[in-house]
Amino acid sequence: MNRVQRLLIASTLSATLVAAVPASADIAVVVNAGSGIDRLTRSDVVNIFMGRYRKLPTGNVALPVDSSSLKARFYRALVDKDLAEINSYWARLVFSGEASPPQQIVSIGDVHQLVIQNMNALGYVDSSQVPADMHVVLTLSE
Amino acid sequence: MRRLLPVCLGLILSVTSVAAEARPLTDDGRLRFSGFGTLGLIHNDLDEADFTRDISQPKGAGKGWSARTDSLLGAQVGYRFTDQLDTVVQGISRYHDSGDFSPEVSWAFLRYRPDPGVQLRLGRLGWDVYQLSDSRYVGYAYPWVRPPVDHFGTLQLTYIDGVDVTFKQPVGSDLVLLKLYTGRSDGDVFIGKGLEAHFDVDKVYGGHVDYETGPWRFRLGYTEVESNIDFSGDAPDQLDAQFDQIRAFDPSFDLTANGVLGSSFGFDRLKLYSVGAVFDRGPVQLQAMWNRSKTSADGAVDSGFVSAGYRIERVTPYLVYSQVETTSDGEGGSEGDFKQRTYSVGARYDFTANMALKAQLDRVHVQRPGFLWRDIDSDWNGGWGSIFSLGLDFIF
Repeated sequence: MNRVQRLLIASTLSATLVAAVPASADIAVVVNAGSGIDRLTRSDVVNIFMGRYRKLPTGNVALPVDSSSLKARFYRALVDKDLAEINSYWARLVFSGEASPPQQIVSIGDVHQLVIQNMNALGYVDSSQVPADMHVVLTLSE
Repeated sequence: MRRLLPVCLGLILSVTSVAAEARPLTDDGRLRFSGFGTLGLIHNDLDEADFTRDISQPKGAGKGWSARTDSLLGAQVGYRFTDQLDTVVQGISRYHDSGDFSPEVSWAFLRYRPDPGVQLRLGRLGWDVYQLSDSRYVGYAYPWVRPPVDHFGTLQLTYIDGVDVTFKQPVGSDLVLLKLYTGRSDGDVFIGKGLEAHFDVDKVYGGHVDYETGPWRFRLGYTEVESNIDFSGDAPDQLDAQFDQIRAFDPSFDLTANGVLGSSFGFDRLKLYSVGAVFDRGPVQLQAMWNRSKTSADGAVDSGFVSAGYRIERVTPYLVYSQVETTSDGEGGSEGDFKQRTYSVGARYDFTANMALKAQLDRVHVQRPGFLWRDIDSDWNGGWGSIFSLGLDFIF
């Protein structure tokens, strides 16, 4: 076996191992603990993050935020789609002037900041790492 | 093509390095810029007729390869004044009725959203006459190289200057949507060799009801288009010359080519009825649509398609069947009518999160040649043709 073949097999094996390890935890959809929102259904969360209908049970306009590090896992768990499909979905709505995608935020720290500052903000975090000042409205199992 | 290619390649290279989302240009995120485009190549095996994407294209793709039909570039700038008020301007450069790629403003509206369930838009708006019709140039948004030509190719307008209002109401976990719109518009339609119709649309109005439940989206739509039609080209010119000769003998003879063609086509008043259904869950994408457009001369255009796609990793293979038929007197096909059906097979490959490569084969059965084709041989009665297409779609 030459070096290239060994490398290929090694990388295939490690990819298989990574894929086989179960995800560390589920994904929690979170709001500000003082927002007055107790629970949201999966279809509420789909409506808000997919730009279909963005009204919160409080009557206010929901402000969804995407966090780059968890985005792929979140949409896989929510609608069983990968990021290219999500981009394709938004291309139709953006270029027909129907709706705008959630605000894109790179760091989890900034998502946290936004949710504690804004009563209408919705974010998502790894369910094993929910900060005390956030309230979980829906847990998505992966 | 020679001028478009370097521009598109440059753009593609520059978009690979940026995120796929609309990029804020200001720190507060109020001003945003984004865009879309397609680099398309068509191979037509027919000697007898040139393939078009829609009736606004004066020239088609002849035998061999062509990049004119599907290639396009669009860009959008948006500015948010407040959470309720924003504006969007969108331009597009594609091969259209002026016979070149001259850019035009396809959207330019001011939007007011007092509530998540109400939206009011004022200005230039895409013609949302049936599902997907207002995003039919955004190749990245659909699996196909182009939306089924039999169904979308006969649309007369791309945008309206006017106003629309949308109401959304949740019903349990479902959503009901009502959209009403009215405005003015204009556009050119190429009907056949030496015959072109200019639509000066006084009034276009209509609406639709959408019902969204789980992965399903259903739509019922109705639209009326009232226009002054101006016919031009060799055919009306020759007709007018003959009428002038008659008038030389009989000054009371008052027929004009415009009048005669106008009453025989009946384009001055169109009524469009449409139904559509889309199913989108996980890797499965299904669509079915049907439309009947009626003219004031009792003619009709019936069209429809069904499409099925299934995503496997980064590749989405799909199958489409579409058909279109015109009837000039409500009695079934006659000499001047047009009828064809298309079987398509293709695949979309998402090789990055903002670019997709597509390949598609259309087997078109032209039963009676007509206005979706250009430069038709006068002795051609139709037959089978193969259109092979490659497309590179991107957003930035």
